[in-house]
Amino acid sequence: MKRGEAGAVAPAARLAARVAALRSGDRATLARAISEVENRAAGARALLEAIAPDVGTAHVIGITGPPGAGKSTLINAILRELVSRGERVGVVAIDPSSSLSGGAVLGDRVRMTDASAAEAVFIRSLASRGNLGGLAATTHGIVDVLDAAGFPIVIVETVGAGQSDVDIAALADTAVVVCPPGLGDDVQAIKAGILEIGDVLVVNKGDVAHAERTERELKDMLHLRKARERWSVPVVRTVATTGEGVARLVDLVAKHAQAAGVGKRVRARAAASDAHAIDAPAHALAQRDRYLRFLGIDVVHVGPGTATLRMQVRAVHLNFNGTGHGGAIFSLADSAFGLASNSHGIVAAAVDAHITYQVAVVEGDVLTARAVEVSRRPKFAVYRVDVARADGTPVSSFTGSVYVTRRTHVPAGEAPASP
Amino acid sequence: MNADTMRLRPKVLVTKIGLDGHDRGSRIVAAHLRDAGMEVVYTPPWQSIDAVVKLALEEDVDVIGVSSLATDHLIVPKLMRALAAAGLGDVVVIVGGIVPDEDEKMLVDAGVARVFHPGASLDDIATFVADAAARVRAIRFPAEDLAR
Amino acid sequence: MNKPLPDPVPASIEEAQVRWQSQYDAQIGDDAPVHNRSGIPIRPLYTPLDIDAARFDQDVGYPGEPPFTRGIYATMHRGRTWTQRQLIGLGTPATYNERLRDILAQGASAVSLIPCNSVFRGYDMDEVDEELLGTCGVVCNSADHMDACLAGVDLASTSCAMNDPSPFTLLAFMLATARRRGVDWRAISGTSNQSDCLSHYVANHMFFRIALPGARRILVDHIAWCNEHLPRWNPLSVVGQHMQQAGATPAEAMAFTLSSAIQYADDCVAAGMSPDAFLPRFTFFFDISLSFFEEIAKFRAGRRIWARVTRERYGARDPRSWRLKFHAQTSGVDLTRQQPLNNIARVTAQAMAGIFGGLQSLHTDAYDEALSCPTAYGARIAVATQNILREEAHLTDVIDPLGGSYYVEALTNEMEERIVAVMDDVEAAGGMYRAVEAGLVQRRIGESARRFQARIDSGEQTVVGVNAYTVDEDASARPALPKPDAALMRAHLDDFARWKTRRSQSAVGSALDSVARAAHSRDQNIFGAVVAAAEAGCTHGEICGSLRRELGFGHPLIAV
Repeated sequence: MKRGEAGAVAPAARLAARVAALRSGDRATLARAISEVENRAAGARALLEAIAPDVGTAHVIGITGPPGAGKSTLINAILRELVSRGERVGVVAIDPSSSLSGGAVLGDRVRMTDASAAEAVFIRSLASRGNLGGLAATTHGIVDVLDAAGFPIVIVETVGAGQSDVDIAALADTAVVVCPPGLGDDVQAIKAGILEIGDVLVVNKGDVAHAERTERELKDMLHLRKARERWSVPVVRTVATTGEGVARLVDLVAKHAQAAGVGKRVRARAAASDAHAIDAPAHALAQRDRYLRFLGIDVVHVGPGTATLRMQVRAVHLNFNGTGHGGAIFSLADSAFGLASNSHGIVAAAVDAHITYQVAVVEGDVLTARAVEVSRRPKFAVYRVDVARADGTPVSSFTGSVYVTRRTHVPAGEAPASP
Repeated sequence: MNADTMRLRPKVLVTKIGLDGHDRGSRIVAAHLRDAGMEVVYTPPWQSIDAVVKLALEEDVDVIGVSSLATDHLIVPKLMRALAAAGLGDVVVIVGGIVPDEDEKMLVDAGVARVFHPGASLDDIATFVADAAARVRAIRFPAEDLAR
Repeated sequence: MNKPLPDPVPASIEEAQVRWQSQYDAQIGDDAPVHNRSGIPIRPLYTPLDIDAARFDQDVGYPGEPPFTRGIYATMHRGRTWTQRQLIGLGTPATYNERLRDILAQGASAVSLIPCNSVFRGYDMDEVDEELLGTCGVVCNSADHMDACLAGVDLASTSCAMNDPSPFTLLAFMLATARRRGVDWRAISGTSNQSDCLSHYVANHMFFRIALPGARRILVDHIAWCNEHLPRWNPLSVVGQHMQQAGATPAEAMAFTLSSAIQYADDCVAAGMSPDAFLPRFTFFFDISLSFFEEIAKFRAGRRIWARVTRERYGARDPRSWRLKFHAQTSGVDLTRQQPLNNIARVTAQAMAGIFGGLQSLHTDAYDEALSCPTAYGARIAVATQNILREEAHLTDVIDPLGGSYYVEALTNEMEERIVAVMDDVEAAGGMYRAVEAGLVQRRIGESARRFQARIDSGEQTVVGVNAYTVDEDASARPALPKPDAALMRAHLDDFARWKTRRSQSAVGSALDSVARAAHSRDQNIFGAVVAAAEAGCTHGEICGSLRRELGFGHPLIAV
């Protein structure tokens, strides 16, 4: 049972017909294509490659925020506003899978009942299936499918676990962070996390007094942050249940697309593959890392904010159960994290990291760790690393954050600067 | 959890059409199916037939479970026709709730795969749904190795 | 010289307690601890040691005065028996009227009306599938229909209770009917049954039509309008039944109900009403489960707490403000499909608990309630049950007959503690509106429901015929559901269509505009506009639709 083998690739003609149907707006084709990608079915890779030229025009809007913020209800109101403006919108709503049973109740669209009736709206629920960071592992691919199907706007609602829902930053063109009143009290909001990645902040619900106070606190916090180029992050008050403030929110989101562009995720992919396979200074770093060599980790690629490393599980990496030692896997992920966070030429020091292990690996497995930069501020940055087996099985998810120093990395040959 | 077991989980819609609002039973079934490892789209009561069809299409569900009290089951045949018209004839539909004997045959004739009466074991329902979903998926994704 | 005060607990009792305890321990063998549904541990024996006799005045007292533990009236059921109000509703107005007159003739003293599910959902009959009409309630969409429902009923002298959620169109239709008949509105008596929007949002989603903030506003308008125009009408019925049936423990159900009443009272005060003007018209509606003594204690404790709240929190001076006036219904959730005739015994026990608990109005379920809408046969037995308890078993000859029981008084005190603890939690969350919007109440009810279900699943809680004492009965016997006469319903639909074309479209249009305007104006009374709309010939669906458009469609917070 070798899923990697391409024994079931659809014949070219059938694939072309499906892509044509998808582009023409056929909903059944769209739904089935999403299922294929979601489940990594045999034809999924070919489909994604076939539609690659068509993706990049949709404005991807991420809606994130802590539980209780009212994201789904807000999306319902946003959808109604967009539909009334004649827009067509695809929605991906992600709910967490149970860590006990692996099942999930996909309840986000329950709150979008009004809007979901419109022909112009297409809503798909996804289970996170153990993926951390707020998205499902296949969300990028599913958003590509909706993009290729011609939806000019795609809304992605994250799981909503709160501070750790940061993956949306790499996926969305515009990240909308929804806060219930009272969140502003939390000092954590200042640190990297969902408020860091917001392009538009929304205070939803609550009586006027609470909402006003939270709005003020958020605006104060924004002053402490360096303004993003070409865009100053607004704070909007809404009451999703009545639609109050939603028209203004939609206007601001559209304005952000004009300022910052759409298809950011596609451009990032292109940039990552265009860059030299290994950035010269970063290669030098890897060479200086004795632990990397000791573990037998190969550097496949390093680019600005990204890194791909590979390690084959050998006998020395095994634990008392005869499976891959968590420390070895951690080291692989952490190495990718280290290279990605130091890839800009500036010394970055790890502040914290956490890892989850999803499946055991055995001797002979080839593991690939891919690090991506989730957020980069002058002094602080956050990275996500996914470790997968050669057949695509997710092995581990890792998140790490670094403190960015003012020192630069010295070129190879010179003595390293003192810390 | 690993890729083998995470892929192709049963995708089930649990819903109520008609006018009755008692959803405690349907919520219990939805929770049980989740605990059995399925991905369940749950809706509140009073869904229109059009809404159910649109949802089933967008979510690419394998099985639809309709919870029915009062005489809501009388419009299930309408739902079956609407599903067929939308190209969703392969979706397995089950009905759970209070259905008089004289109406059960009418539902089965309309294409309902099984009627579960009050007192039916949750495990029985879950097993039936899982098996039905597996058969549906085997047809939709013939290239997949579905052994688990 | 002062005589020494008598020792409240003679030494001999303590000695006897010790003797009894050792005998009990020696003989009992395996003694699993017992808890009631609210989680209170129940001991095998209660004695004077369990109550503080010195607190008689504060805790027990006399009926008809604070603390009201023993009853809200001095006479209770000896003076006026509880209202026998049997819920009915089926089919067309003509069918309903026939059944209503039947029941009134059999001795029921008041009218009750349950509308069709389509009405509950805010629609007119021509907006839903025909197959679904009139199966569990009467299809009443206009003042004309209400007139037909109540044909031959003297509105000036008959108390009416209608299941009529916000925006209370059925009452509006009844008032239009009264006006037509020349009956003074000031003579109309009855209750806007279950007008409590919070309980709908939480546990009776069927009744939840308009988004919560809008429903909240309509309720206050309704109370204010009725206080002004209908001196004999109770506009507010705060409901504990649905939450208890959804799984809240009896203590939680009483607590959430009283907390809801506090929210409504706060809103009335904020709207400028004086507590003594609106509190006397607050009524309550509770579930009666099979947990016999727990229910009695729940009601006694509830009375005591409410009397304290009305006096201390609202400064009410009128004794009528202090009374927890309530209707209670035997709990359908305790009934079984298996061996349905057993339900007659269950309903009898539940009814007794309600009677001993001091209710003002009682509905006994029919034994076939668990199967579907009850039949006339079952309804007759349910009414007879009440008559037997009152007149053959003489349960009402003595007021609060269980007062003074060591167990009942001790349990009343413990229930009060539990109830107040939950009320404090709600208060800490900012009141019931905040608590339900955050889902706290719903989660708590869900947890209690799961816990209780686990006890049944494990067999710890017996359910006769279900997890114990089962028989191989014909499990496939599933009776046909009562369906209204299809031809009559079709005729009803045709009449409705014709009537709509004959109405003055301009009167209807401008009345609906008034309703919409009132929804957005702080100065206008929404319910007043609803009544005017009913009189102008607007239909139920038109009025509900207008308010839903203006104030938002009611989507309750549902969590799996």
